[in-house]
Amino acid sequence: MSAMTSGSAERGSAIDLTQFFAVFFEEATENLDGMEHHLLNADLQTADDETLNSIFRCAHSVKGGAATFGFTDMAELTHEMETLLDRLRRHEVVADTAMVDLLLHSVDTLRAQLACHRDGGTDAVAVDTGDLLLRYQSLTAAANDCEEATAAEQTPGTPAEAAEGPTHTIELAVICDDSTAPADILMRMFHQSAHLGTATPLSADPVAKGENRFMIVTSLSDQELLAQLGFHLAPEQVRIIPADIGYGFFSDAPGMPREEGSDAGFGFFSDAPGAPQSDVSPHVESSTEPEPVAAPSRPVTPARADSTTLRVPVEKVDQLVNLVGELVITQAMLAQTSKELDLELHQQIMAGLGELERNTRDLQEAVMSIRMIPMSTVFNRFPRMLRDLASKLGKQVEFVTKGEATELDKGLVEKIIDPLTHLVRNSCDHGIEPPAERLAVGKPAHGTITLSASHQGGSIMIEVRDDGRGLPRQKLIDKARQRGLNVPDSISDSEAWALIFAPGFSTADVVTDVSGRGVGMDVVKKNIGALGGSVDIEAAEGFGMSVKVRLPLTLAIMDAMSVGVGDECYILPLASVVESFQMAPDKIRTVGGSGRVVQVRDEFLPIIALAQVFDVPRRYGVEAGEDIIVVVESDGVRVALQVDALLGQQQVVVKNLESNYRKVAHISGATIMGDGRVALILDVGSLARRSRH
Amino acid sequence: MSHDILAVDDSASIRQMLAFTLKGAGFRVTEAVDGQDGLDKARGKSFHLVLTDQNMPRMDGLSLVRALRGQAAYRGTPILMLTTESSDAMKAQGRAAGATGWLVKPFDPNKLLEVVRKVIGG
Repeated sequence: MSAMTSGSAERGSAIDLTQFFAVFFEEATENLDGMEHHLLNADLQTADDETLNSIFRCAHSVKGGAATFGFTDMAELTHEMETLLDRLRRHEVVADTAMVDLLLHSVDTLRAQLACHRDGGTDAVAVDTGDLLLRYQSLTAAANDCEEATAAEQTPGTPAEAAEGPTHTIELAVICDDSTAPADILMRMFHQSAHLGTATPLSADPVAKGENRFMIVTSLSDQELLAQLGFHLAPEQVRIIPADIGYGFFSDAPGMPREEGSDAGFGFFSDAPGAPQSDVSPHVESSTEPEPVAAPSRPVTPARADSTTLRVPVEKVDQLVNLVGELVITQAMLAQTSKELDLELHQQIMAGLGELERNTRDLQEAVMSIRMIPMSTVFNRFPRMLRDLASKLGKQVEFVTKGEATELDKGLVEKIIDPLTHLVRNSCDHGIEPPAERLAVGKPAHGTITLSASHQGGSIMIEVRDDGRGLPRQKLIDKARQRGLNVPDSISDSEAWALIFAPGFSTADVVTDVSGRGVGMDVVKKNIGALGGSVDIEAAEGFGMSVKVRLPLTLAIMDAMSVGVGDECYILPLASVVESFQMAPDKIRTVGGSGRVVQVRDEFLPIIALAQVFDVPRRYGVEAGEDIIVVVESDGVRVALQVDALLGQQQVVVKNLESNYRKVAHISGATIMGDGRVALILDVGSLARRSRH
Repeated sequence: MSHDILAVDDSASIRQMLAFTLKGAGFRVTEAVDGQDGLDKARGKSFHLVLTDQNMPRMDGLSLVRALRGQAAYRGTPILMLTTESSDAMKAQGRAAGATGWLVKPFDPNKLLEVVRKVIGG
């Protein structure tokens, strides 16, 4: 067999494996990093199967590549790691600190080996692995001893004990001419004589007129085995298949090659009688003619595969985002300063600045997009969860997702998982009715929960919709009153639905025939609010409900409107701004002493004077009536902010005020303006809530 | 005519090696990064040969073989498993799943071509 292998190598064209090395090095580095990460972060004793499988796969991949590309030292070490990891993931052994140390040490060693190969090709490796390999072998030996002891205990006197010395596996072909007798004889021999080892048929049934293949595990040498078999079988009836030709075909498998010059040295299974000859010919012309992927004569370039990704630590990306943020500020500063320049004298500078602005914006978008990942990473978690939950509750639920490709900032994705899980769980638990109840009201037995995501302007909208019970308006109002909330009968539907966000509405408080959607909804709302998002509910009693979560695409950069109050500048998220206008004194009404409202078309909105809220001295000379009103909206509540001036619209880089200073009421963050001043970003939601109290 | 081969492996280097070698021999190669990807790419297209790794995230090779065999278009298509070990258990599983044969890793490009040509000619 070795002759055949080397023969084929000689006649083969010279395909130089070194061209793939670069990809292998990169991939191996990734795998080693991944393995180390898992080893350090997961407690292997309690790690879930997925983690153990991931670690195993890392080792497995490195081994496969290393062996293929001729880095035998790495293949040898990863093989030992793989063996240990395989036992771990099968829960045959329990991980201890020593094992984790050994694995980590191996990762380091592999890195060193990798570095050597990177510099010097396949040979000249100065990394000693002897000690590591010994430690793996002693672990394996210990495990084997243990296993054998158990096996002997459980099945005393089985042929297993008869096998002496190291066993190996070979394939044996028994050639049958007229009947399956020779194959039967072989099986009988192995049954009767334990010292031969074990024989397992490789084909489903013995076949007459052909080869029957057996997997033989034996401690005997090939010659010894043939000699033993020679007692009952003629030499021409038995043939040992060279073990390591490295491939083979299953005799009765679909897609078998057509009969060809059977090359004994390669150990084909001949076509078994009755084996399904491919009913669909593999040579059939495909109906959709694929485009030619590459011309065979393409020049050899170690180009990367099409769908490759580059893995970088999040910190690096964050640093990039921060730097771009600074650049945006610098650019804004330059733009600000340039306003004072004479356009005609500084034409070129102005043109350059215009260019800079465009490039900065493009760069910013490109950098932000690095952090964007598709919502499918979140959505994919739900089918399994819903399936389990529905079967536990005895409900039938169909789960539909839309817009999985919609992208969202990675940081937001991580934070949205819990609230969404809550909402989806609520829909299944409290929204969808049991099948009988649904049928009784003329609905299909299975309920539908739809999770969809879409981009809407600068934000992403995620909707959880179900076709279940919906919300009972009156019961919600009654419940709220019991909780001591002041709820007028005239509240709008959306305000009624919003009652479930009140902190008092917890599961325990809601009677079971009310859909019970109070479960932690206040927490959901709070968490989403903290992300700069909002939650809206639509419901129809008996027909279902929809919870819409609106989130900014990213937390780092925001489209904003800047307003002036006294000498101060405040920032409003543009998304929350509805309109702005000069305040006409006759549109203002005073209610209950100090409260003022402004009439905007048919609506009276409470006025919030920012100068009062933040205790900013008004600029001297501002007349009443020159005030400007900016109507902002949050969670469906509109309020009128009274400011002195509208300064402009721009993108601002959001900086956390709490981590840099301290928490300030009604302020969600800060930013640095073009002129270098710090401006505070208003928390519109908190201002709107203030107006209600 | 040149044949279409679907090469499924989660290792980029192995994939690249498969693609490069097979393309160099005049085959058309579609790469897939795991079983699921392979299955997606197999749909609506008829490959003449599928080469698949066993150990992959999302969907392993055996599951891919089973899934493909469940489709009319792939009932008779040769599918070779690329395995690191030619253990008996692995072979038994491969056979039960409906694989046509196996090729043990590591293999060199010449061995690959040799086996592929045995199965689909070219």
